[in-house]
Amino acid sequence: MARTKFPAEVLTPEGELFNEEVEMLSTHTALGSIGILANHEPVLALLEPTELRLYRSESDIVRFAQAEGYLQFAENRALVLVEEAIAPDALDRATVETRLTEARAAAERAAEGSEEAARANRDVRRYEAFLKVAG
Amino acid sequence: MAASQRDVRSKISSVKNIQKITRAMEMVAAARLRRAEQRIAALRPYANAIRRMTRQAAQAAGTSEAARVPLLAEHESTTNVAVLLVTGDRGLAGAFNSQIIRAGVRIAGELSQEGLRGSWYATGRRGVSSLGFRGYELAGSYVGFADRPAYADARTIADDLITAYVDGHIDRVEMIYNAYVSPLRQTVTQERLLPLAHATITGEEEEEAQDGDEPRARAAVAYEPDPDAILRRLVPDYVEISIYRALVESTAGFFGAQMTAMRSASDNAGEIITGLTLQMNRARQAEITQEIMEVVAGAEGLS
Repeated sequence: MARTKFPAEVLTPEGELFNEEVEMLSTHTALGSIGILANHEPVLALLEPTELRLYRSESDIVRFAQAEGYLQFAENRALVLVEEAIAPDALDRATVETRLTEARAAAERAAEGSEEAARANRDVRRYEAFLKVAG
Repeated sequence: MAASQRDVRSKISSVKNIQKITRAMEMVAAARLRRAEQRIAALRPYANAIRRMTRQAAQAAGTSEAARVPLLAEHESTTNVAVLLVTGDRGLAGAFNSQIIRAGVRIAGELSQEGLRGSWYATGRRGVSSLGFRGYELAGSYVGFADRPAYADARTIADDLITAYVDGHIDRVEMIYNAYVSPLRQTVTQERLLPLAHATITGEEEEEAQDGDEPRARAAVAYEPDPDAILRRLVPDYVEISIYRALVESTAGFFGAQMTAMRSASDNAGEIITGLTLQMNRARQAEITQEIMEVVAGAEGLS
C-alpha cells in the first residue's frame, strides 16, 4: 500500500543533493535508528554517520553515505543537513580506508580526553560508517 | 630609419602576445568566478538552516546551558591570539593578496603593543610564503585548494583552531579574508571566529521578522538527545561554516580581482599598441618623405 508522501530535502554546504517527495526517510540519530513517516511529530535530532535512505516508494530507494549532521522534521517537511553525503557508488573504498587509517593514527597520537582526540575519534566513526555503506 | 621601424614592429608584436595572454587569463578568471559565485549560492541554504537550528537549540537550551558550551565561553585571560589569513595560491590579481598580508602585519603590530602573542595560520601559497619570508612562524598552513576550496578543507582548518582553543593553547581567533562584494570589489574583512559571541547565535532579530519558520521553532519539538547536546555540536559547525564561507568568498574575490587586473592589463597593452603603431607609421612616413625628397633632388639635379 502506498504511504502518504512528504517533502524531504538533503542539504550539504556544497549544495542541495535531494529535494523530492518521499514515503519514508530512515537514518541514525544520536539515540538510535529513526524512521520518519508523514505526520511524524516535530523533531530536531543529531545524526550519526550512517546510511541515509530516502524511500520514494517501497522499492525505489535513494541511498547516501552520510556524515554527521542534523535532522529537522517540522510541519510535515523533513530537512537533513549533513556535512558530507555521498552516493554509495561514488564512494571510493581505497580513499575511505586511507582516511580511516589516518584518523585512527591521529586518535592514537592525541592526548586522552583532549579535544584533539575527540575530533579524531569522530572522523574514525565517520569513515567506519562510510566503509560499511560501501559494503 | 629602417632599423627603428623594425624595432617598433617587433615591440608591437611582443605587446600583442602579452595582450593575448592577459585576455585569455581574463576570460578564464571570468569563467572561474562564475563557478565560485555558484558555490557561494550553494552554501547559503545550508548556512541559513544551521543558523536557524542553532537559534532554536540555543533558545531551548536556555542561557545558562549555552554558556557552558566551550566555544562560547571566553577564556579567563587572553595571552595568545590566533590570526588566520585567507589568501590565494597565485598572484596576478592586483592587490588581492598583499592587502591581506598588510592587514595581518598591522594586527601583529597591535598585538605586540597590547603585549599579546600571535599565533599565525594562513591559507593559500601567497600568504604562507609571504609570512614565512617576513619571519613569522606559522602554526598552521593550508595550501593547494585556494582555487576550489572544499568543505573538508574548511573542516581541517576549523578542527585545528577549535582544538587549540578548547585545549587552551589560544584564547582568541581572528580571521582576515577578502569578502566578496562584486566582481569589481573585495573588501578586507576581519571577523572574530572564537570565542563566538553569544549574540551571534541567538540574535539576528532583524531576520526573524520575515522568517516564516519561527512558528516551527515554537511548536513542541522532540529533541534527540537534548537541546544542550545539539547546541554543543552546532556551535563548532558554525565556525566551520564561517571558515568555509570565507574560503569560497575569497576564491570568488580572487577571480574577480584577477579578472579586473587582467582587463586593465589588456587595456593597457591596447594603448601601448596604439602608441607604437603611431610611432611606426611616423617612422615609415618619414622614410617615404625622405625618399621622395631624394628623388626630387635627383631629378632637379638632372634638369
